[in-house]
Amino acid sequence: MKKKVDLFPYLLLVPALLLVITIVAWPLIETFRLSFTNTSMRPTWEYVGFENYVEIFEDDFNEIILRTFLWMTISVVLKIVLGTIGALLLSAALPGRGLFRVLVMPPWVVPIAIGVFMWSWMYNGQFGMISGIAQRIGLIDGPFEFLAYKTSSFLSTIVTDVWVGVPLVSLYLLAAMQSIPRELHEAAWTDGASRFYRLRRITLPLIAPSIFTMALLSAIWTFNSFDIIWILTEGGPRGATTTMIIDTYKTAISRFRFGEGSARAVMILLCLTAFSVVYMMLLMRTARKGESR
Amino acid sequence: MKLKSLLFAGTAIVLGAQMASAQTEIKFINCGATDGVVPEAQNVDVAAWEAENPDYKVMQEYIPWGQCQEKAITLAAAGDPVGLAYLGSRTLPQLADAGLIVPVEMTDEEKASYQPSVLATVQFNGGIWGLPRAFSTKGIFYNKALFEEAGLDMPNGPQTFAEMVEASKAISENTDAKGFGMPAASFDNTMHAFLNFIYSNGAEVVNSDGEVVFNSPETVEVFQFYKDLVPYSQEGPVAYDRGKVEPLFSEGKVAMMVQSFGYRSRTGDVDYGITWIPAGPSGEHSTLLITDSLAVFKGSGVEEAAMSLAKFLNETDRQAKFDDIAGWTPVRDTDISRALVEKDPNWKFFLESISAGGPEPQVIDYNALQDVMNEAIQGVVLGEISPEEAAEDVAKELEDLME
Repeated sequence: MKKKVDLFPYLLLVPALLLVITIVAWPLIETFRLSFTNTSMRPTWEYVGFENYVEIFEDDFNEIILRTFLWMTISVVLKIVLGTIGALLLSAALPGRGLFRVLVMPPWVVPIAIGVFMWSWMYNGQFGMISGIAQRIGLIDGPFEFLAYKTSSFLSTIVTDVWVGVPLVSLYLLAAMQSIPRELHEAAWTDGASRFYRLRRITLPLIAPSIFTMALLSAIWTFNSFDIIWILTEGGPRGATTTMIIDTYKTAISRFRFGEGSARAVMILLCLTAFSVVYMMLLMRTARKGESR
Repeated sequence: MKLKSLLFAGTAIVLGAQMASAQTEIKFINCGATDGVVPEAQNVDVAAWEAENPDYKVMQEYIPWGQCQEKAITLAAAGDPVGLAYLGSRTLPQLADAGLIVPVEMTDEEKASYQPSVLATVQFNGGIWGLPRAFSTKGIFYNKALFEEAGLDMPNGPQTFAEMVEASKAISENTDAKGFGMPAASFDNTMHAFLNFIYSNGAEVVNSDGEVVFNSPETVEVFQFYKDLVPYSQEGPVAYDRGKVEPLFSEGKVAMMVQSFGYRSRTGDVDYGITWIPAGPSGEHSTLLITDSLAVFKGSGVEEAAMSLAKFLNETDRQAKFDDIAGWTPVRDTDISRALVEKDPNWKFFLESISAGGPEPQVIDYNALQDVMNEAIQGVVLGEISPEEAAEDVAKELEDLME
């Protein structure tokens, strides 16, 4: 007797499938297609093969890729280090700990544009707080414009990105720390282990998978970070803060070179896909380790 | 009784809503600030047009300059154009080339009514693509008190590049302020400020035959002039666009800046003087001629009504009053514009320089032009490239863009 296929479960999947096709698959396919065309604002366009890809590598795109990775690496390392320190402090048995946990949230909760505008004023040499304090304590003898020079702009955008990103890392790692059984710490303490020894031998090894996961997620988000750089420097001065996402926006949206911009977007997609693959592989390896234990 | 009033009121609301829904909407994007005398004056004129055209309702939206043009153009490119937009005339070649805006029909009499050079800013490939709405010429605003404190004997302000450097140096060395408020951020007014000096030194970007002639000794002199001004400008010019330099001038932290006549209302307590853009060693006082225009977008379904509204707003007397309220250089030569110098003698610096002025270069990819020019200016300001290299780089990139 032939078994009747129940179509109902598949029917339930249709809305989700349509959603994925509409907002993920179609734009993705369209981006790939556009990247092989010379589409601009003109009503006519034609396929140009790999011309857009050749052209972007004839520009300073290699430099932009390297800059993007450098920006991302410094930012993510700082976020993880400061986030871990923040999580350790928040997990310490201090009075008013709950209040501190709330106070750490604003950089993440405040709309990014508002927070970044605040930073842009703080970086101002004439009216900004940072230059003012540095002058008052004698670090510099006149106003300093943080967003006017290549190196200081690059570092300033990183500092703001770290400011926005640290609270989430801290809270994520705090949750990981709280999942460590208390008995482990108590047993070590009974055996005379110092605070630092317990941190090194118990806390950090047990939250390592979380740190790793957070680092990879943070890398993907940081790689795609647009608003912070755009509001502070628009990629300047002289391209010093132009990352791949800023470069793509400038080409596709500011200059209306949709074909060339799509080729750049595809390059971002390739880089992010590489990250995702690494992330999935590490996640699976961690899961396998957990199962074997 | 109460119930009756309620029913009447309800019916009136429903009827009003029905009438409103029967009106056709004209979306009108304006680049600039939402408040102030300019939108107020325009709202009055728009209301007057609506009264004459009850079938239409104008939906105005004001968007800051940084995002405005991009939004209007993106909407049009995506097939959802607004009816009318007020934007920089530099965008018109790109919009016309892409077939996104409709040409403006003008009689010879209408053409002749505009100030010389104004019409050229909205022409491209033989067509007229916008109605000039705001015209700007530039001069130098200088702080008289700082000039005096620095011991400078320049009662009429700096008249040449050399005097401007000399004044900037003296002010920086003898007062707490800096000499020149230099905009060098990645923004359009960085290029605009620079082009004033280009034209005042007899240099050109593109000549009348459409050839790029930017790489010239005159251009190099202007880059050198900027380089000479850097030590006597506010710290870190690359972080400043014109808007950020304004508070420095009104706070007395810089003594000079390039501005249009309308800036007078924003100078704070500064005892200021106004003069021409200083003449370079190879040129005479000049200015950048720059306009913003009303452009009618194709495909909105209300092209005819939008054009009628644009022409209504741009009508000679109405536009002249609008220019006067806004403090803009008049787009037409009228009784009001002829009376301006009498009203305020400073107007002469902004009106008499028109004939010697130069236009914003008409390039289809105007954002690329701006980026190229700004990067060269920043390169010189930061000391990364020489004036010669800057002129050469820009010319080369411009040639590619023109192709």
